Order: sequence, then C-alpha cells, then structure tokens
Amino acid sequence: MINEILNSITFIYPELAVSIFLLIIVLVDLVFHKDKKYIPYISLAGLVITGILVLNQIGITHFAFVPQLSAVKKYGMMTIDPFGSYFKLLVVVTSILIIFFTIASEEVIDLKERLGEFHALIYGMILGMLVMISASDLILIYLSLELLSLSSYVLAGFLKLRERSSEASLKYVIYGSVSSGLMLFGISIIYGLTGSTNLYVINSLIQGPQINLFTLSFSSILMFVGIGYKISAAPFHFWTPDVYEGAPISITAYLSVASKAAGFALLIRFIQTGFTSFISEDGYWTLIAVFDWQALLIAISILTMTLGNFSALWQDNLKRMLAYSSIAHAGYILLGIAVLSNQGLIAVLIYFFVYMLMNIGAFYVVMLISNKTGSENIDDYDGLGAKAPFLGVALAIFLISLTGLPPTAGFIAKLYLFIALIDANMIVVAIIALLNTVVSLYYYVRVLKHMYLTKSEREQENITPSIGSLVYLLVLLIPILFFGIYFTPIVEFARSCVSLLGI
Amino acid sequence: MSEISIINISIIILLLPLVSFVLLIFFGKKFPKLYLAATGVVFVALVLSIAVTFGMLTSYSGETLSFSFTWIDFGNVPSIGFLSIELGFEINNVTALMLFVVNLISALVHLYSIEYMRGDIRYTRYFAYLGIFTFSMLGIVITNNLLMMYIFWELVGLSSYLLIGFWFEKDSASDAGKKAFLVNRVGDIGMWIGILILFTHYKTFTFSTIFEQISLGNLPFDSAAALTTAGILIFLGAVGKSAQFPLHVWLPDAMEGPTPVSALIHAATMVAAGVYLLVKIFVILTADAMLVIAVVGGVTAFVAATIALTQNDIKKVLAYSTVSQLGYMVLAVGVGAYAFAFFHLVTHAFFKACLFLGSGSVIHAMHHEQDIRYMGGLRKKMPLTYYTFLISTLAISGVPLFSGFLSKDGILAGTLAFGSLTGHWLLPIIGFTVAAMTAFYMFRLVIITFHGEPRNKEKYDHAHESKWVMTAPLAVLSLLSIFIFYTPNPISADAGWFLNKWISTPQTVVPAEASFDFMQSGMNKHETGLAQESGIVHSVQYTEAMHHAHYPAMFLSLILAGLGILIAFIFYQWKKVDLEKLTEKLNSLYKFSLNKWYIDEFYHATFISGTIRSADALSWFDYYIIDGIVNASASITRFVSRLSGWFDTFIVDGLVNFSALFSGFIGLSFRRLQTGKVQTYIVFVVFAVLVLLLFFRPF
Repeated sequence: MINEILNSITFIYPELAVSIFLLIIVLVDLVFHKDKKYIPYISLAGLVITGILVLNQIGITHFAFVPQLSAVKKYGMMTIDPFGSYFKLLVVVTSILIIFFTIASEEVIDLKERLGEFHALIYGMILGMLVMISASDLILIYLSLELLSLSSYVLAGFLKLRERSSEASLKYVIYGSVSSGLMLFGISIIYGLTGSTNLYVINSLIQGPQINLFTLSFSSILMFVGIGYKISAAPFHFWTPDVYEGAPISITAYLSVASKAAGFALLIRFIQTGFTSFISEDGYWTLIAVFDWQALLIAISILTMTLGNFSALWQDNLKRMLAYSSIAHAGYILLGIAVLSNQGLIAVLIYFFVYMLMNIGAFYVVMLISNKTGSENIDDYDGLGAKAPFLGVALAIFLISLTGLPPTAGFIAKLYLFIALIDANMIVVAIIALLNTVVSLYYYVRVLKHMYLTKSEREQENITPSIGSLVYLLVLLIPILFFGIYFTPIVEFARSCVSLLGI
Repeated sequence: MSEISIINISIIILLLPLVSFVLLIFFGKKFPKLYLAATGVVFVALVLSIAVTFGMLTSYSGETLSFSFTWIDFGNVPSIGFLSIELGFEINNVTALMLFVVNLISALVHLYSIEYMRGDIRYTRYFAYLGIFTFSMLGIVITNNLLMMYIFWELVGLSSYLLIGFWFEKDSASDAGKKAFLVNRVGDIGMWIGILILFTHYKTFTFSTIFEQISLGNLPFDSAAALTTAGILIFLGAVGKSAQFPLHVWLPDAMEGPTPVSALIHAATMVAAGVYLLVKIFVILTADAMLVIAVVGGVTAFVAATIALTQNDIKKVLAYSTVSQLGYMVLAVGVGAYAFAFFHLVTHAFFKACLFLGSGSVIHAMHHEQDIRYMGGLRKKMPLTYYTFLISTLAISGVPLFSGFLSKDGILAGTLAFGSLTGHWLLPIIGFTVAAMTAFYMFRLVIITFHGEPRNKEKYDHAHESKWVMTAPLAVLSLLSIFIFYTPNPISADAGWFLNKWISTPQTVVPAEASFDFMQSGMNKHETGLAQESGIVHSVQYTEAMHHAHYPAMFLSLILAGLGILIAFIFYQWKKVDLEKLTEKLNSLYKFSLNKWYIDEFYHATFISGTIRSADALSWFDYYIIDGIVNASASITRFVSRLSGWFDTFIVDGLVNFSALFSGFIGLSFRRLQTGKVQTYIVFVVFAVLVLLLFFRPF
C-alpha cells in the first residue's frame, strides 16, 4: 500500500508542485503582509515549474494510486496519459497568461493588499483542474470539481464592493451547489448500480445484461448536468452570462478558457473510459449500447451554439457578448466530441489551443480599453480604430479568428472540426454549425463596424498600450496568424496527444 | 559552406526584402528615413546572394540542394488517399545565378531610386513596393514546387500592378496598371489550369517528384497529349508575364510607371520570370509544346522589333525591344537551346536594366521629357550616361566583345540547328531579320538622343549629368555587359565558364515518341551522368548541328548587325536619305508599325467592346425582358391578389396574427429565460433534466 502510494507520487509531480506553491503563497502572504509585490513572481515561478513537469510527462501513459484491494485488474484513481498532459499544459499556459492579464488590469483596485488570497485561490483552481483532468474515479472527479468550483465562487465575487460582482458570486454558489448536488446524486446511483466508483470498472460492469438501463440513463444525465454546468452547455449555462459580466474581467477570461478546458477533458475522459467498448482501426469509438451519448451530445451542442449565438446578437456589453460567444464556442467543441472519433478529438484539441489564444486576446483588449474608458459598452468603441490603431487591429484579428475566417488560426480550428464531422457523415449537423458561424459573423463584425466605420460623438484621447501589453498581445497574435497559414505543427502535436489510457 | 547553410541563407535572402516591406509600410510615415534601411537590407541580401552563388558554383555545381516541409496534411482523404501538400525551396546553379541577378539589379535600382524618386509624395511607399516585389521575385526563383511558384507569380503581378499605377493620379498610369493586371490574368488562368492538370494526376506540386514520375513513363492521364496541353497551358502564364504575342500589349503601357521600376520589373527580372518558368519546366516539354513555344517566341520577336523601328518615345522603344528580346529567349527554349535561353536572360537583364536606367537618367535631366524628337546632342552634357548607354546598345545589337553578341549568337545558332534538324527554316530567318532590326532601332535611338544638334535648346541648356547614385548603377551594369565575365573567348561562349561549368542542359524526361529526336541523348543513365559534366545532354546529332551552325550564324549575325547599324548611321547621323520621302513612300507600312500593328485597336474592337456590348445587351435584356416579365406578372398578381384579398383578410390573417402572437410569446419567454433570478435558473436545470430523461430514456 505504502509502496504504491510512494510509487504513484512520481506521476503527480505537477499536482504536487501546485500544492506546494499554494502553501508557499499562503505562507508568504502571512509573513510578508506589508509588502506583497513578490507574490505574482512566486506564482509565475510555480506555474513555470509546473509547466516543465507537465512537459516531462507528455509521453507517459500510466495509472497512479491503484487500490491494492481490487482483486482482478488494477485500475488507478488517476490516469496519466498524453491527452491529459495536453490539457494540463493548456491549463498551465492559460494560468500564466491570466497572471499577466491580472497585472495589467486596473479593475481590482485593492488588489495590492489582497494579492495573496487572489493567487492562492487561482492556485486552488489550478489544482482542482489538474486533478480533474486526470481523475478516473468518480469520487476524485467530484472532489476536484468542488475544489475548482469553490475557488472560482470566491474569485467571481472578488470585487467585493461592486454589487454585480457579489450578486454574481452568490448566484454562482447557489447554481453550482445545485448542479454538483445533482451530479453527486448521479454518482451515488452509479455506485449503487455497479458497486464501484472507478470508471474502468464501471465500464466493464455496465456491459453486463443485468444493468437497469433506465436508472443508468438517469444517472448519466445527472452526471452530465454537473459537467455541463462546468462547460456552460445549454441548458445548464444560465449562470454564465451573469457571472461572466459580474466577475473581474481577468477571472471571466480564466473561467471561459481554463475551467472550460478542464470540464471538457473530464467529459471526454468520462465518455471514453466509462462508456466506450472499443476503438476501431480508423479511430471511431464504439460506445456500449446503454445510453445514446451521441444523440445527447449533438442535441446539446446544437442547442448550445444556437442559443449562444442568437443571444450574443443583441448584447451591447462586450463582456457579456464574449460570454455568450464562449457559450457558442462550447457548442462547437461539443460537436467535436459528438463525432466520437479520434479525428474529432484532434479537432477538439486544436480548437482549444486556438480558442485559448483568441479568447484571452479578445478579453485582454476589452480590458485595456475599459481601463481607459471605464466602459465595456459597444458605443464606446466608436472610432476606436483610429484612436488606438494597434488595439483596433489586434481586436479585429481576434474577432475574425473567433468567427473562423482565414488566414487566422480560428479558421483552422473550425476547418478540422468540419472535416471530422464530414468524415463521420454528419452533414446536417455540419451545416447547422456552419449556419451558426454565419450568425456569429454578425455580432463579431458589429464590433469592427463600430471601431472603424462609426464616428465617435465624444472627444476621446488616443489610447496607446504600454510596452508590456504590446508584447502580450503580440505573443497571442503571432501564433494566431502563423498557425493560420502553417498549421501542420499544432495538428501534429494534437495528433500525438489524442491517446487516452484505454480500456 | 555546407548544404544546409546555403539553403538557410537563401531563405534569409528571401525574407529580407519582406522585412523591409513590412517596416516601410507600417512605419514609413513615422520614420521617413527608413528608405535608407530598405536599401541597406537589399544590399545585405546582395552580399548574401553572392556568397550563396559562390558557394553553389564552387562546391555544389550541378547538384540540387533542396529543403521541403509539409504545409497541410489532409491525412487519408476518402476517394483520393493520403494527401499532403509539401512546400519548399531548391537551389541549383540556375537558381543561384538568378538569385544573384535579381538581387544585384534590385539593389542597384534601390540605390538609383533614392535620387530619381526624391521629392515624391509617396517616397517611402515606393520603397515598400520595391521590397514586396523583390521578395516575390526571389520566391519565384527559389521555390521547388508549382504551387509556391503560382503564389509568388501572383505576388509579382500584384507588385507590378502597384508600381505601374504608382502615380495613380494620372489616368494613363492607373489605366496601364489595370491593363497589365487584366492581361496577365488571362495568362495566369491558363497557367493555373496547367498546374492543376499536373496536380490532379500526381497529387503533388513538387517539380522533382513530377519530373521523376514522368521519366518513369507515368504521363498525366496516360496520354502525351495531356502532357503537351499542360506544358502549353503553363507556358500561357509565361506568355502573360513575359509579354509574348498576343498578350504583349500590357508591357509598353506599363512604361507609365517610374523608370527605375521599368528597369527592375519590366525589363530585367519579372518579365524574365516567364522564361525562368520555361527553364524550370523545360524537361517536361514535348515536341509539340516546344514547337508552339518556338513559334510564339519567334512571332513576338518579329512583331515587337518591327514596332520598335518607328516609336518616338524613348521608353516605348526600349519596351518593344524588351518584348522582342524576350521573344528571343522563348524562341531559344522552343528550339531546345536551353543554356542560351538562360544565358540571354542574364545578359539581357544587365544591359536592358542599364538601358532603362540610362533612359531614366536622360528623362530626369530633361525634366520628364520622353520624346526623342526633342532631344539630341546630349552626349556632351551627359558623357557617363552616354557611354554606358552606348555599351549596352552595342551589347544588345550583337557586336562582338559584348555579352549580347555571345548569347544572341547562341540562340541564332540554335534556331539554325533546329531548322536543319526539323526543317522549320522560317524560325532562323525570323531570328536573323530581328537581329538586323534590333541593331537598327537601337542605334537610331542612340543617334537621335545623344548625337547631332539639340532640338529643344531650352531643355538642353538645363540638362546636366545625374548624381553618382544614379550613374554608379549604370557603370556597374554596363561593365557586366562585357564578354569577360562570361567567357575568356570574345567570339564564342562555348568554352566559357558560364556555359561550360555553370549551366548544363538537363535531360528531358518526356518519352522518346513525344519529344524531338535530338532531345534524347540516346545514352544510358551512367553515360548521362558523364555527359552532364561536359555540359550538353543532347543527342550527338544536335551537338553537331549546333557546331555546324555556329560559324554561319556568327558571320550572318555580324553582317546583319553591321548592316543595321550602318543604315541607322546613314539615316540619322549622316542624313544621306531623305527620311520624309521614304516615310511617304512606305506610308502604309510606316503607319502600321507606328500604330503597333493596330493590335490594341483590334482588342478594343473585339474583346473590350465585345464585353461592353454584351453587357449592354444583357442590361437591355434585364430591363425589357426580365423587368417586363416581372411587370406583367405584377399586374397578374395584382388581379389575383384582389381575389385573394378577401381570403387573406378573413382566413390567413387570422392564422398569421395567431402565429405572430405565438412567436412573440416564444421570443418573450426566450428573453425571460435569463431572468437574473437564480431560483428560476435552478428550476430550469431540474426541468432540463426531466426533459432530457424524457428524450433519452432507453425505452
């Protein structure tokens, strides 16, 4: 037993590093409570170290924490595989970007005094996400989901003095509790049905004939409620617009990328380890015929993207518009999973990488502009193209990429998604997704119209970003344009990372 | 230098002008001095390209170094199989020499333009355009596949368009830009179809893979006719870009652009890209394709030379002479004189760039006067311009000791050999006639412009020699028009290093039955390797024919060039013949030539007015027929609608009002969904769970 635990520790170095740095941050916050300016550097250092540890793991496929009690086959509570490492890397990179994002943001006025708790909470989220990505046991899934949620509740309400922020936080708590409660309900039913909480064991048990299919479907749907809330898939997205608008913008960007990525990783692992019977030569997954995941995912994804896009049409607040747009993007990504093939999975991996770049970029520009103008309203973007040429062009590229037009990486992401759909003969679904993209063009281009074609009625001073912001934006822009033209590297990388620790 | 460093340096050379373009286009307004950086960057590229050329010719002569990477990997595509698109670069002797030529002329033109364009309102943008042009041209040179070739091909077309219309306030300039763009489009469409024929069959754009497949007997769609078609269609791209008949009409108009641009793009480099393309695909040209190419080249050379005889605009004369010389190069490819085609490309690039820059110097001095009838006597005012111009003229006229003599002599010998081997004697006849005409009109230009008495005293008095930044490029280019850079023997290039060591004709890959007999070396692979070292991979037959043709061609071309020069002197220097009487006697011929064979008028009468007329007809059709039908149906509809009106009011409206009410209700509830109240959200969640269960329950 002890041996196994000691052995397993070698596979969770990233999680350990995050935990240790979490403690260090809390300690530093307590000891040097007069001067907290070092905390961001400590947390960046921690993330870089975690990133390196994740990179070291990228080729490894292994179980960790295998219970010694189970008799026949040995399945661990955590699974280390290239797929998980890809998402962990994504989470770590996003976190690094968000730390810099927070430094540039002027929204949290008293952040200087509360740096310690801010970073500690971010670390709490990261720990939750990393564990969630490789968890293959329902209990661990639930725990990590709660860890992630609890930290994000607090962060969403970090602007204590702003009413909207507190309100958002409260709604988030209540909504999240109900969702995770339902999920826990689902978990308990599954445990009741199979007598196990390990996904691999569950997989082998539900293939038997004695399973009550109705109860299993019910519990699957309840599980999906919990995951759907994390990835804000309709109709479990209701918290998203309110929380995204109320939370500090850096946290909004973080929630919309990192915690969504972790949720998707969880969903994919849950379906693939829990419900797949085998994977064919050409990469198509055959599910156990107990629950029609494909139909559910297609229905949910179409609903999600349609609702996200149509609701975004009428938003005048850019933060809220981006919130709805991120719901729509979750819909596209769900389609990649609904294909139930490795091709679709590659598309999802590519999409997430690109989505991270363009979504954080768009939020960053919105943040910089609201730093100056104090507003996120679209009317305040009138004539911005002339007043802030660099920011204007940057936002334009991010939005074009979000729409999915060449020559940006957003196009490549959508291209691979549609290739996967068409390869799987899901033509009708592909057409619906395509029409949705057309709808999204309207609200993205509307921003461009305000920036470049509408003359501002008020006098505005020119907005010139600082050198740091300039570099930050270039770091996001250059890959978007580069991978828009030469995308073989990310495709190859994604292809090498699709393998999950199989059944 | 190692192989990899040659490739890397070549890629750096390619990217340097792009850097200069990006810098200038974005920061040119803020930092007007950036044009100096642009010039510097191009000179750095020149130094690097000299290094590459030197390394290539000394260490890897005859080899092809290449580097390629996967651009798009489509994976396993249903009904096609594994498909991936490779891009890359390749460097061989021809490429390396071309790199040097393009960079040298580009650098000199940058330098020259500093003075020539001074004071222009879009000064930095001009240098930015030169940067994007150089980048695109270098891209054409070092690519190893047809796709990139096509992309860069379009990019040079774009930069040419931008630079022709650089003074777009002038209607003539913007019209010329449009004309160049549209005429080139005709050729490019053909080229693209040709590329697609090859791609559809071979699933690759890479030259070497396609060549290898053909040499293994795998022809496109299993027919030599398809290969011929592909060859001719790709050649169509060269017809457009290299201004071959009948698409040559854009090049003379392109002279509306700044003169240094004419020198760089419309004389030395871009228009030669067509010939370069032919050199690249030379090995897949079938006998029929080669004959078509030879005929087009010959006709172009002849037509353009006859037009050049009577033009009065200094740049127009040079433009038609460029078209005529390009015709020579294309003719050379067509008759199989591969090495001489490329040789003439290089020598022509230098002396024609020199002529254009010289004419720019004259135009600059004469305050933008381009009509040679108002010049004269400039020799005394601008000695350096005069002597460099004269050297280049001697080169283009084919006078011994100069580069043009060597390359043109080779081409003429090639046509003679071709005639004797295939019986197409008209091609050499055209070739020699054009040689005589070239000598005549070039010396006519020199004599009228620089000799005699000034015809416009006022402008003459203001004329002065240009500054060193303008004359230095002239000196360099005219120096390169002297034989010693290519061969030690001033009357024959065969023994020189250019043809003997640097350029060797590649073995054709076309199957024997589809190519000319003389293109097949008739040796096995091993011997072919040996033959490549000695330079020529033709049949013994062809080599002998070339050998036999060498001296007749030389003497004949010498006599004809001398004759042309002599007549020019009699007409314009010594004025022994009354020109006015002569023009009157040959009035119709004179008019025909002066009006450029009425080709523009012909196009105007056929294609352009045809398009306009068909547009008129369509608009008439639209207006009367379509609108008429619409109107008629409108009145019918009105009648019917009255009938259905009452039906509408009572029955349909009822339904519509109901559905409007209904969708209003849905819309309202949709908006109501996001109430902001968390308790309703939770109700929705529970509701959603129940609905999902309803739909996805197992029975």
